[in-house]
Amino acid sequence: MNPELSQDLSLLHLILHASLPVQIVMALLLGASLMSWWFIFIKLFALKRALRVTDRFEREFWGGGDINAMYQRVAAEREDAGEMERIFEAGFREFMKLRRQTGLSLNVIIDGTRRAMRATYQRELDGLESHLSFLATVGSVSPYVGLFGTVWGIMLAFQGLATVAQATLAQVAPGIAEALIATAMGLFAAIPAVVGYNRYTHDIDRLANRMESFMEEFSNILQRQATKPA
Amino acid sequence: MNLPADAPFVSRPAPRLAAGVLALGVHAVFVLLLVFGVSWQTQRPAPVMVDLWETLPKAAPPAALKPPEPPPPPQVKTPAPAKVAPAPKAAADEPPPPRAPDIALEKKKAEVERLQRLKAIQAEEEKARAEAARVEAEAARKAHEKQLAEQKKRELLRQMEEEDLMRRMADEEAASEALAMRQAEARAAAGKRQAEVARVVGQHRDQISAKVRGNTRLPDNLKGNPEVRCAVRLLPTGEVQSVRVTQSSGNAAYDEAVVRAIVKSSPLPLPADRDARAAFVPELSFVHRPKE
Repeated sequence: MNPELSQDLSLLHLILHASLPVQIVMALLLGASLMSWWFIFIKLFALKRALRVTDRFEREFWGGGDINAMYQRVAAEREDAGEMERIFEAGFREFMKLRRQTGLSLNVIIDGTRRAMRATYQRELDGLESHLSFLATVGSVSPYVGLFGTVWGIMLAFQGLATVAQATLAQVAPGIAEALIATAMGLFAAIPAVVGYNRYTHDIDRLANRMESFMEEFSNILQRQATKPA
Repeated sequence: MNLPADAPFVSRPAPRLAAGVLALGVHAVFVLLLVFGVSWQTQRPAPVMVDLWETLPKAAPPAALKPPEPPPPPQVKTPAPAKVAPAPKAAADEPPPPRAPDIALEKKKAEVERLQRLKAIQAEEEKARAEAARVEAEAARKAHEKQLAEQKKRELLRQMEEEDLMRRMADEEAASEALAMRQAEARAAAGKRQAEVARVVGQHRDQISAKVRGNTRLPDNLKGNPEVRCAVRLLPTGEVQSVRVTQSSGNAAYDEAVVRAIVKSSPLPLPADRDARAAFVPELSFVHRPKE
């Protein structure tokens, strides 16, 4: 009983002396936490860039620039273009192609253009939303995983208690402390994941709204241009 | 129709490496916070050794004896002014001689006077010297006396110290004797306690034996008085957890009967005393003979 009293409660000791299931849970949670932070930073950079590029494009587009020149520029640097620029490029390219074919009604031309823009929009939105489901999963599941590790560790601690004559706190304290680390790790993984998920979902929703409005407005502009006698 | 130009754009890959480094950085910071921010109980405070004294060590006497030493210099110096004092007195005696002689021969008188004055001065000087010697002697005597007194004082002090030491030694001796006595008492008490525990253990052993014997159904084919040894795992409440035969009697039916009897006797009577219970609780080795 005496060696128990002078238990070393350092973090490393607690983790290394935990039982195997608890250790597996801890490793899982550490992996989940690393992955979620990785995706949080990836998404952070990607969304910041998307917002910056979108702002720049909208300023340029509504600043009264020449649409043809803009199309040339975007088509030249398509690898580096932003989401909204690509929608614009896809729509305008489709419009030009359809217009070159004679005998097509205005409605057909505009519908084709919108379909092209919508397809690009879907693809871009999918790219923006990638990895977000992982953040959501980590945020909702990892507290339970941590709790499972804790419950398992406490179960073992109390099982050990049953075989001794005098039950003292010193006999269960290390086990409970080690088990609670699993819960702490679960929360550590979950909290940033949930915050990141909510924040990024909101940002992406706003971007999507902007893109959809742009699509509608651009369709109108193209329609006006098509009805004008060329 | 140029299909390649229609192909969808590939999304530019996000800066994955930077994100990975940042993620690792976040975890490193968190681990550092945990390790250094939470005071994990890594070592117990070292025991502190304290000496307990019944009385304070006699530090006061030396302090009290030191002051007498500085006074000597003033005492030696006080005679010095006395040496100066006689001189003016001698000077006061000087004027009368010139008035005593008659006015016979001015020159002779002057001569005599001069001689007399010289003599007087010499006498005066001698007197002063004698006085100085006396004063010196006095000072020496005083110094000697002082020295003596000091020596005496020192001796007294030494004596006191010795007495103090003796007293302290005696105290210590008494203390160690008392300690030895206390230890002997403690030993005696421990012995008594041990005997008591042994008595209780024996008593309960008999009780357990009796209870198991009452529950034993001896098989018909039993011959002689074979001995079975069992290891019985007990809960603190006396309930039997498991029984294991450590030394068989050679008769499997009899072994079985004893094991059954032990299980049937659960809970076994255990002593209330904690030390006595230690002889039974995690595991009890149990010996059973059919006839006793």
